[in-house]
Amino acid sequence: MFSTVIDPIFAIALNTFRETVRDRVLYAFFVFACLITVLGILLGSLSVGQDIRIVEDLGLTVIAIIGGIIAVFAGTNLVYKELERRTIYVIFTKPVSSWQFILGKYVGLSLCLFVVLVGMGLFLLGLVSLVDPEHHMQLHIHGITCSLALVLLELLFVLAMATFFSTFSTPIMSVIFTLSLWFIGHLGSSLIDLSRMSNNPTAQNLLSTLYWCLPDLAQLTRVRSMLMYGKEPSQEIIVFMLSYVMAFILLLLGLASIVNERREFP
Amino acid sequence: MTGLNVIEARGLCKDRVSSFLLKRSMVLDNLSLTVKQGETYGLLGPNGAGKTTTVKILLGLMKPDRGEVSVLGKTAGDHSSLKRIGFLPENPYFYSHLTGLEFLEFIARLFGLKRFEIKDRIKDLLRLVSMEADANKPMNKYSKGMLQRLGIAQSLINDPDILFWDEPMSGLDPIGRRDVREIINQLKRNGKTIFFNSHLLPDVNEVCDRVGVLVKGRLVTEEKISNIDQGGGYRDLEDFFLAQAER
Repeated sequence: MFSTVIDPIFAIALNTFRETVRDRVLYAFFVFACLITVLGILLGSLSVGQDIRIVEDLGLTVIAIIGGIIAVFAGTNLVYKELERRTIYVIFTKPVSSWQFILGKYVGLSLCLFVVLVGMGLFLLGLVSLVDPEHHMQLHIHGITCSLALVLLELLFVLAMATFFSTFSTPIMSVIFTLSLWFIGHLGSSLIDLSRMSNNPTAQNLLSTLYWCLPDLAQLTRVRSMLMYGKEPSQEIIVFMLSYVMAFILLLLGLASIVNERREFP
Repeated sequence: MTGLNVIEARGLCKDRVSSFLLKRSMVLDNLSLTVKQGETYGLLGPNGAGKTTTVKILLGLMKPDRGEVSVLGKTAGDHSSLKRIGFLPENPYFYSHLTGLEFLEFIARLFGLKRFEIKDRIKDLLRLVSMEADANKPMNKYSKGMLQRLGIAQSLINDPDILFWDEPMSGLDPIGRRDVREIINQLKRNGKTIFFNSHLLPDVNEVCDRVGVLVKGRLVTEEKISNIDQGGGYRDLEDFFLAQAER
């Protein structure tokens, strides 16, 4: 019973993973990211004693951006490609539920993002070890690993958004929706600030309702900055962030499954 | 044939709604048909008659606007019946990034087959469709005929009781068509029910027990092949089909 539920998810995840890692575009992105990270050495040499900081900051930013591009573009094509190639007929004429399909696709692409992030992270660490003459690697490994974990958490959220939109709109519209929501997510706390500043109770209620409906990703960026400056976030913050992002991911994947369940495949 | 109805459709209606003006056009009009266990049923019809839509409704990929469908005693698309169904889509595209072997493993896992079963089953099927030598090639290197053979293999991976094959002979050379006819005959001997759409009437004539002719979404007639061949007043199946389709 357990295997009949898990096997299709595993099969779809493996297929999605294979499809993404066998796509040459992924390697082009990887090489591009590595080249820009190497540029950090040049930029660092122009600074006064901040060369390692610049390599780390630039490297992590590039990883976040390239990871984001992969998550958005691969995620928004997840369901559309299956429809376009008509491979969806092969899947849904087998005993596969909509939620198994969505979860399998999501897990496969998440695994691919994880591999990409690990690969780029190792490259960044290698670069830092080259630049750092005193080899404070223990410190760098901790900071970079924790920051990468936060980047991955954010990308998993972005991927869930992309997956959700891909179930009912074209890839272009899904990209626009996902990027918009991602951008709004980083400005979410401004809504709360605005509602506090407002004297109108209706506006206050509206703004705070909007804040609670929209994702707040600014917290992730704040914690990432803390980590890069050697400050440890409290355990409560970490647990809250994990629960918050996971709840949003589950909600989005659940909605994606419902939308997909209701659709026809003409 | 045991006489048990394994596919039943009653009063199926389906409209297509255009995305721009929301104009409705009828695809299926009060379609009713039954297929008995062990029977090989051929659904014939000109292009756009609604054959593929019928198969999609029977498989649960589309929902009828009106009417009822049951396959193996369950509602179309029910997982317990899908476990016992094999489906070959028209013009199969599949996944170009996979090899033939990886694709068959993927399909086997969708059915939840055990690992030890999968290897032997795939080996047998590759032999059946004469694809052993090409199993490790990526599918983007396959010809249309090779994709069709692989499609047939994937439709048989779960040893189904019912097969839905949409244009199974499409893209096959005469040798391939002969091989598929032999596979169908072997499946018939094993008591499998086969429902297929085809334009290739000589092949239909050779393998089907009964045919239905669908024209503009209406099932205009159903007839046993033996009745058409023997004293039905028609030269052959093509003559019968043309007479019904142009009626």
